[in-house]
Amino acid sequence: MLKDSELRNTDCIAEFERVTKSYGDIRALNNITFSVRQGEIFGYIGPNGAGKTTTIKILVGLIKNFGGLARVASGDSGAHSDRALGYLPQHAAFQEWRTVDHSLTTLGRLSGMSAQEVRKRIPEVLDLLGIADIRNRKIVHLSGGTIQKVGMAQAILHGPDFLVLDEPMAGLDPASRYQFKKVFRQLSKDGTTILFSSHILSDVQDVANRIGIVSHGTLIHEGTLEELRHRLVVPKDIDVMLSRDSGRWKELESVPGVASVELIEKGRMTVHLTQDADIDASIDGLVRELLDGGSKIRSIYPVNPNLEQLYVQFVTGGASA
Amino acid sequence: MSLAILFKDELNGFYRSKVMLFLWVGLPALAIILYIATSGVDQEGIPFSSFTALLVSVIGGVISAAMLTVGIINEREKHVYDLFLIRPVKRHSIVLSKFLAVYLCVVVAAVAAIMLGVAVDHFRSDLSSATLFSNILPAIIIAASMIAISCSAGILIGMSSPSVLVGVILVIYGANQLSTVAVLPVLTASSDEYFPLIPGLAITVVLLLMAIWVFNRKQL
Repeated sequence: MLKDSELRNTDCIAEFERVTKSYGDIRALNNITFSVRQGEIFGYIGPNGAGKTTTIKILVGLIKNFGGLARVASGDSGAHSDRALGYLPQHAAFQEWRTVDHSLTTLGRLSGMSAQEVRKRIPEVLDLLGIADIRNRKIVHLSGGTIQKVGMAQAILHGPDFLVLDEPMAGLDPASRYQFKKVFRQLSKDGTTILFSSHILSDVQDVANRIGIVSHGTLIHEGTLEELRHRLVVPKDIDVMLSRDSGRWKELESVPGVASVELIEKGRMTVHLTQDADIDASIDGLVRELLDGGSKIRSIYPVNPNLEQLYVQFVTGGASA
Repeated sequence: MSLAILFKDELNGFYRSKVMLFLWVGLPALAIILYIATSGVDQEGIPFSSFTALLVSVIGGVISAAMLTVGIINEREKHVYDLFLIRPVKRHSIVLSKFLAVYLCVVVAAVAAIMLGVAVDHFRSDLSSATLFSNILPAIIIAASMIAISCSAGILIGMSSPSVLVGVILVIYGANQLSTVAVLPVLTASSDEYFPLIPGLAITVVLLLMAIWVFNRKQL
């Protein structure tokens, strides 16, 4: 790790340059290069075993033996930074004999907070995460999801500039996931830079400003979701719902730009367009054809592929770029 | 700074633990029971205080070593230390805080048990007060030395052992045997009552340095 003065781009809080890491014969990371900009929420996505946790452990300074350069604005590495870095591991673990309050007090003090600051801050973060009532409970008596929330509490307790979260929402119920995302947005609004990994793609799609996709130890995309969509051969589909189905849907294939029509159920179909088709012109043609054929249209709209579809395309080699 | 915080924390957790409750109350009680049970046997004039010191050193040493080993292996496997290590905490602070906290608690329990033994001897034996009090310091030195070796061995085994089972076996057959090295100077009839401190201290320092080295090596 290098110091912040050596960051190439001062807008960035962290930079990876040709980072490689091997475990014996297995190459976990292969020339990974990306940067995290100040104030953004960076979603780091990849399938299991892709190298997400290894990347994050290098970033926070838990892995020091690697090739390439990793620079973090907070200092030499996570181990030597003071209040700048917050980290939530994939499975947050605490000494089980401690209470939540005791764990947070110790970790806050170790982050350089005064005893008074810690006492003031603990109820604030527990309240933010909706777990104020477990402050005096022992860790051993908490559920996995609640321990994850306590893990989040320790990560944000000292008000870090850069928050690194490894699968923070894994194992959380939908309400807790929603709450975490709300907290991410709030922290980002307050100026905290966040990098979080996930394979729950909808979570990344909901909160991340930019994303990085890693597969087999290689970063295959870095950019916004829009940039990702533009890089891909995105299927052009139109979803059609009819309130009265005349059954003449096969005739839609004669409309210019239509490649095929897939009947989902009675009164609902997906129209696949050719890659060079003009979507607006095709929709006009479809509407005319359907009305002329005696059908009544409830809705008709182009289908935008979500991150999940794009991601699957990417990791299975369906990318155009 | 981090060593002080961690030491205070470990101490806070350990002195109230069930293991420590056994050491505080169970060990002196066990010593009394064993002494009474063997009252008909020729004890070659061994005072109860010496008997207690030996018992506390051996059993207390093994229990604390096993507890340290199991605790460290569990915490290592669950990556508990990651949350410390991303903060400005040195690895040796974690090792030393655990050793110091457990060692202090067990030595205090041992001294309490030895003092109980002295009190019993005072009321039950023909030994003079001067003789009784002259036995206290050597007994404490032997106990402190043996417990130091056991605790440091427990930490080294905890840091290097691949599983809890292997760790406990190593504690029983390794740490326990190693701690008896502290008694060797007494058996060789050394006249210096402080002499057990030398092997005790030397072995403890070596074992702790090895534990720190192993912990640092685990940094991938």
